[in-house]
Parts: sequence; C-alpha cells; structure tokens
Amino acid sequence: MVQYNFKKITVVPNGKQFIDIILSRTQRQTPTVVHKGYKINRLRQFYMRKVKYTQTNFHEKLSTIIEEFPRLEQIHPFYGDLLHVLYNKDHYKLALGQVNTARNLISKIAKDYVKLLKYGDSLYRCKCLKVAALGRMCTVVKRITPSLAYLEQIRQHMARLPSIDPNTRTVLICGYPNVGKSSFMNKVTRADVDVQPYAFTTKSLFVGHTDYEYLRYQVIDTPGILDRPFEDRNIIEMCSITALAHLRAAVLFFLDISGSCGYTIAQQAALFHSIKSLFMNKPLVIVCNKTDLMPMENISEEDRKLVEEMKAEAMKTAMGASEEQVLLTMSTLTEEGVMSVKNAACSRLLDQRVEAKMKSKKINDHLNKFHVAMPKPRDNIERLPCIPQAILDARAKEATEMEKRKTEKDLEEENGGAGVYSASLRKHYILKHDEWKDDIMPEILDGHNVADFIDPDILLRLEELEREEELRLAEVAEDEIETDGEELSVEQKNQLAAIRKKKACLIREHRLKKTVAQNRSTVPRKFDKDKKYTTKRMGRELSALGLDPSSAVDRARSKSRGRKRDRSEDRGNDAMDVDDEEQANKKQRVRSKSRSMSISRSMSRPPAHEVVPGDGFKDSTQKKAALKIGNTSHKKRDKNARKGEADRTIPTLRPKHLFSGKRGKGKTDRR
Amino acid sequence: MAQGDYMDEHKKKYGRRFDHDERERKKKARDVHKHSKMAQKSIGIKGKMIAKKNYSEKALMKRTLKMHEESLSRRKADENVDEGALPAYLIDREKTSRAKVLSNTIKQKRKEKAGKWEVPLPKVRPVAEEEMFRVIRSGKRKTKQWKRMVTKATFVGPGFTRKPPKYERFIRPSGLRFTKAHVTHPELKCTFCLEIIGIKKNPNGPMYTSLGVMTRGTIIEVNVSELGLVTPSGKVVWGKYAQVTNNPELDGCINAVLLV
Ligand SMILES: Nc1nc2c(ncn2[C@@H]2O[C@H](COP(=O)(O)OP(=O)(O)OP(=O)(O)O)[C@@H](O)[C@H]2O)c(=O)[nH]1
Ligand SMILES: [Mg+2]
Repeated sequence: MVQYNFKKITVVPNGKQFIDIILSRTQRQTPTVVHKGYKINRLRQFYMRKVKYTQTNFHEKLSTIIEEFPRLEQIHPFYGDLLHVLYNKDHYKLALGQVNTARNLISKIAKDYVKLLKYGDSLYRCKCLKVAALGRMCTVVKRITPSLAYLEQIRQHMARLPSIDPNTRTVLICGYPNVGKSSFMNKVTRADVDVQPYAFTTKSLFVGHTDYEYLRYQVIDTPGILDRPFEDRNIIEMCSITALAHLRAAVLFFLDISGSCGYTIAQQAALFHSIKSLFMNKPLVIVCNKTDLMPMENISEEDRKLVEEMKAEAMKTAMGASEEQVLLTMSTLTEEGVMSVKNAACSRLLDQRVEAKMKSKKINDHLNKFHVAMPKPRDNIERLPCIPQAILDARAKEATEMEKRKTEKDLEEENGGAGVYSASLRKHYILKHDEWKDDIMPEILDGHNVADFIDPDILLRLEELEREEELRLAEVAEDEIETDGEELSVEQKNQLAAIRKKKACLIREHRLKKTVAQNRSTVPRKFDKDKKYTTKRMGRELSALGLDPSSAVDRARSKSRGRKRDRSEDRGNDAMDVDDEEQANKKQRVRSKSRSMSISRSMSRPPAHEVVPGDGFKDSTQKKAALKIGNTSHKKRDKNARKGEADRTIPTLRPKHLFSGKRGKGKTDRR
Repeated sequence: MAQGDYMDEHKKKYGRRFDHDERERKKKARDVHKHSKMAQKSIGIKGKMIAKKNYSEKALMKRTLKMHEESLSRRKADENVDEGALPAYLIDREKTSRAKVLSNTIKQKRKEKAGKWEVPLPKVRPVAEEEMFRVIRSGKRKTKQWKRMVTKATFVGPGFTRKPPKYERFIRPSGLRFTKAHVTHPELKCTFCLEIIGIKKNPNGPMYTSLGVMTRGTIIEVNVSELGLVTPSGKVVWGKYAQVTNNPELDGCINAVLLV
C-alpha cells in the first residue's frame, strides 16, 4: 500500500542558492589546473568535462525535484484534491512544468557547447565557450526562480500536513463551526486540538487515533462548514468537503442543540440537507451535542421535527443499524454519551467494511487463505480432562495449607497488636534439632572469642579423612592378594598374545584407513574390488568369535533385494547367493541404492499438489500451476550453480605479479 | 495552526524563554561582526562571492539613502512643459506620428543610396588569415597543404551542398554553422532569436563575405517577419540588416543589433 509521506521531499533551493551549489560543485569536483602548453585535445577534454559535469548536476537536482513532488493524478484522490484546494493544481503543475523545461533546455545547451568545444583551437577559446555554456545554464535556472520558491513553500507546507491514511478505518467529524467537534476529538483521542469559544478555531484537518475492540481507528477533525453555495466556500471549508468526499469513513454529523454556537438548529439542518450527497454509502451518525445546556427533551417542537427529519434521512442509508446507533446525544463537557458515540460510529464502520469486503470479488482469495478446523466428534463418548487423584489431593492440600498459613501480621494481631508483640528472629533457623533454636550461644568462652575457633565444615573434613583412610586400607589388602603373570597357563598366554595381536592389527588398519579417508571420498560399494564385505566373510568371522552366524546371515539375506526375474528363463538359478549376483545386477543395485536415498513419503501427509484448506489456493490445478511456477523460477539459477558470495574462497595470497622483481616507475600492480 | 506546526504549538503551549528577546537582540548585534570576520577570512571564489554581495547591498543602501534625501530636499519644480504635452481634453484622441516614420525611412533610403552605413560598430580588429583558417594537410603522405578549414562561425544557405570533398578548398565544419542569431532591436530594447538569411558583408574582406564567415562586425541579413514590422507603404518587412556584436566562435551564439 502506498504510504503518503510528504516529509521526505528534499529541500528545493532558491535560484541563487541553486546556482551557487552547482557551480561550486563543478569547481570542486573537476580538475582546476590547465596550461596553455597542453595538447589541444587535453584542453578540450578539460573544458568539456566541466560543461558536462555541470549539466549532469543540474539534471540530477532538477530531476529529484520533479520526481519527488507527487503527481496529483497518481496519488489518492483525497490527497490530490486536498493539494488542489490548498495550492491550486494549475499553478502547481505549471511550476513543475517549468522545472522540466529548464532541465531540457540545460541538456540542450550542454550538448551544443560540447559540440562547439570540439572545434576549440586554443585555451582561450575553449575557456570562453565554457564560460558561455555555464552562464547560459545559470540563466535558465535564474528564470525559474519564482517557481522554485513556490515549490519550496509548498514543500514546507506539505511536510506539515497531517498524515492521514485514506484507506484505513476512519471516523470523520463534521458540522457547523463551534458545535464542539474539536472537544469531542480531544475526548476520544490524544490529538491536542485547539478549543475556543469562537467559530473557525480549527482551520485545517487534524488527525488522531483511538481504539475500539482492539482495532485502531483514525479520527479526523475537520474545520466547520457553513451552509452556502459550493463556489463561495473558502479554502478552510473546502478541506472538510474534500475529506467528506473522498474518505470512505464513518461520518459524525455534529448538531449543537443548545444553539450556543450561534447557529440555530434550522440552519444546521439546512447544511445537513445540502451536503447529504456526500454521506452516500457511508455510515452516518447524527450527534446532538451540548445536552448539558439544553436536554434533548426541552427543544422546541419545530426543532424536534427537523431533527427527526434528519434522522429519517440518515436511516435511509443506515444499512440495518438500529435507531440508537443513528441519533445520539452527548455532552463533551460532562462526558456524557461520548463513549457511546464513539462505539456506535466504530461498530457501524466495522460492520460496513466487513460487509463490503464480503461482497468484493477478491473475497475468495482471502477465504482460501484461512481455515478454521472444526473437528467432528468421533463418537458420543464424552472425554473429560483426566486429572490424577494424587494431583487433585495435592492441590486441595496446598489450598488448605495456603489458607492455614499464618503470617507474621496475623500473629501480631493475635498477640496484642503492634508494639506489644515482638517477632522471634530465630523461629526460621534451619538446624538439625528444633530445640537448638533457643540455645544461648556464647561469644566469649574462657577468655577466647568463640568465633575464632569455628570451622563451619569441620564435619565434612572429618568425613573426607575417614574415606581416605578406608581407601588406604583397601589398597594394602589388595596388594597382598595380587600376584604376577607367572600364574597364567600356557593356553591362557596364547590367548592373551592372540588378543594383543588382533588389537594391534585393528589399530593399524584403522590408522591406514584414516590417512586415506582424509583426502579421498568414500568409494561406492560398486567399486569395492576386494569384495570384503560379503555374507560369507561375516559368517566366518562371527563363527571365529564363537557366535552362531546363522541368524545374522539370514537377516542380511532378508534385507537384500530378492532377485528379479531374469531375461533368460533358463538361467533359473534360484540360489540366494548374494556373492554371485554382482555381475548380473550391477545396474539394478545402483538404481536401488538411489531409490533408497530418495525421501520416503509419509502416508499421513497428502501429496504436494493436493489442496489443504487454508493454503490459499482455489483447487489443485491452481496449486499445481503455482508449484510449477515456483519450481521453474529457480531452475535456471540452480542449473548455473555459479560460485556465489556465500562460497568459501581463498584468494591468491601473494600474487606473483606483485611479489617478484623490482618496482619501476610505472603502475603499482604491474612489475 | 496546522497539526504539524510543532514550533508554533510549542510556543503556544510553553511560551518563550524569559530572555528570548534579549538573546535575539544580542545575536543580531553580533551578526554584523561575525559576517565581517567571515568576509575578511574567506579567500578564493567564496571570498569573491561575499565581496560582491556586500558591494551590491552597500550600493543599494546608498541609492535608497539618496532617494530619501532627494525627497527631503526642496527643489524647484520643472517649469518647461514636455514637447508632446496635450491638454486633458485631447488625451484620449488617437494621434499619428506618421511624419516621424516617414522622415526615418527617407533617411535610411538616402543612406542606402550613398552606400555608406552608420553602424554600431564602425571599426573592428582585423582578423589574420592564419587565425581565420587552419591548414589541413592532405595527400597520402600528408604533404599537400592547400586545404583550409574555417575556424570561425559560418553561415551556409539552406540548400547548400559541399563540393566533392577531394577538391574542396575551404571546409566549413558543420559544427560551426549557425542559422539563428539573437538580434536586439535598439529602439524596442528587446531581443529576438531570428533566422539568418544571408551575409551582407564581412569587414575583413569579400572572400569571407562569400564564404559566409561571421565575425564581429559582420553585417548579416535576418528574417524579421515575426516582428511584424511594416514599411510606410504598408508592406510587411521581411529581411533586415543587423550587425554582429560579439565573437560568435567564443560565445557559441550570435548576437547582433538590428540596423534601423
Ligand atoms: N456547555 C457545553 N459546551 C461545549 C460542549 N462542547 C463544546 N463546548 C464549547 O463549545 C465551544 C466550541 O467548541 P469547539 O470544540 O472548539 O468547536 P468546533 O466545532 O471544533 O469549532 P470550530 O473548530 O471552530 O469549527 C468551546 O467553548 C467549548 O467549550 C458541551 O458539550 N457543552
Ligand atoms: Mg475545532
């Protein structure tokens, strides 16, 4: 969505500043030293550069002006009209048009002079041409000085326009001057609008924000409108009219029933009827203000009739709202009814917006996107939450305990109140025995400070010492039992040797594998020339370990894919000899491996192209199309698989051409 | 006061600091000194710019002072009545100054007949041939030097076609050809961008005239049909002479004064 922020437009310098900026930049950013003796080409180049540089700078600056100022046709009609009311569209367009023409003229001048500079035959001539070129460009800018000044003024004013978002939920307050519009605004929002007891206190639109049911509403205070022909209305009133005409908002029409604003109810009713075409298709609330001065019941019979008339008019477009939501009374002084007015306006606006959204064409796109799961009951059994009895008991106990626990304050109350009761500080000491709590602890004993002799973890240390001693004793006992290796029999010795040999063998093998593995990828089994990992070998080795290999072998066989039917029938060799099959099934084996590596699909998940509610797709064809588009979008990128910035690279740390030989007077990157 | 006018709003809510006026006054008083310090300190283009601005301000100030003095000092009112003064009852009558126009045209006719022009620039600096032409070397070994290129602004007629380049003696580069001139009407005191019809005379010699070279002082003929000048006999004037007053090759444009 377009955000309307006119605060970001850059400052438009006035004509003189503009020229100063550009010329001093040319002076600073282009070379300044030339001599007569230079080659003519160099001289021409020097001055051409100045001319071109100046032109580009002018072009850039003027372009930013043209681009940053909003085009009145392209922004929201509300802003378009507001800007037209405030600054006059024709004038605005003319100013921008002049800037545009100046830009083109400057480009043309630069082009002409660059062409002429090509024929320059002396420093003097080139310089004269440059001076003429810059002078003419500056003259062009000087001519648009008034336009620039005008644009700058507009920029400053636009930056201070309230930031109204024309598309959000909006509540619009309108009515005669001095009826209490701004007072209401101050009550429901934090916008600090001026309130004074005279007409036209508010001279422009004011915006504030308020909350209703966790949604934010934008409240707009408008200047008062008088009942007069459209052409006679001044700029201040036209602001209100613009807002009324273009914002799709809830409208609060304020009526001052006490007449203290200086206008009778009849006048206000006339205004209502003259601008009622602006209330079309908008939730309209008629608010009778200042009931503290004149209660609704006290107004005269004719006035009542007028109010009823207005109410009837408003009910026509009420779209099913009740009467209480169309005509409300309030007093901003006593704050009576203020909230109900706000709530009525907000709720009616919300209803209308939801309804409009439901009617719109895009509603299906929105509905596809969300899904509220409504689980169907499986059967009629009621499944209540199950809380174990133990927990319930614990909870009950906790509750009673919570109740029972006496605070220090309760104790104080019981024992005579403040000043009489003195709380015991020792009560909560954590000691081994409770009776120790009240013990009297001496500080000095036999002329020594007791604290000096206290070691808080003496018991721990004692325990440690005891443990150590135990260990020592055990060691001594063990020493007596242990004997040397002489006790082993010959057979045992052999076994030990065999174990050690095997261990060494394994370690060596592992080391060998490790050195190789570091810089070589794992070789696929297809190329495993040694045919080391066979069932036969497994059986052999297992039986060597004294285990029964049959079950392991069976398992391996069951895991391996059964042989497919061969092409030649007469090769009906049914033996499940895995070792022999390699030749015949090389291809299949490879394929089976690749298949085993593909992601296994969960059966509980629907296939990718099937529409899940809340996905945002109409049907599966649409989803399929979207998936396809998504896949093709990165196909090219994937295919190229170029080196990206995320890839690790090691640059050439010492490029040869920079580290060999001597450095001459030439370039630094060549030797 | 609009909502975004935070400066005004703040002023309105909290007022000004108690010594605001005093500070403002002091700041203003200091400003002069600050400015002068800056003016003395800055050098180069910045210094020049400041000096120029100061000078113009000073001149303006003097002029206004003088004007005030004039209004104060008593002077005798002018007694002599202007020549063309009319009594009030005749003022809204249409008057004709035909006589003057007639005499003007007669004068011009006479001048033309005498073949002598009284022009705004009676004398110009003669331009040497080396300055006017650049030698172009030609031939396979670049030894031949009979070709020349005109280095000044030129005018060629609309239907102009070059001679075969091989034999072209004088080259008039297309980048230096001009078709329009900024012509000032000395009596109307305004300038028009007019089309050039032809070269009447170049003060440096007939050869340059025939080549269409425009230097300072050259008399050119311009198309004044846009101006809507009318001869005494009621015909619309089409071509008129004008004299070039600047160096077109240095300025990149032709400025001329209409000869009336
Ligand atoms: N007694 C009474 N006075 C009110 C009430 N509401 C507003 N006023 C007074 O009416 C006067 C005008 O109030 P504003 O809120 O400035 O009126 P407005 O409609 O914004 O006026 P403009 O901005 O000039 O169009 C102020 O003096 C308020 O104190 C009300 O409910 N009761
Ligand atoms: Mg107000």
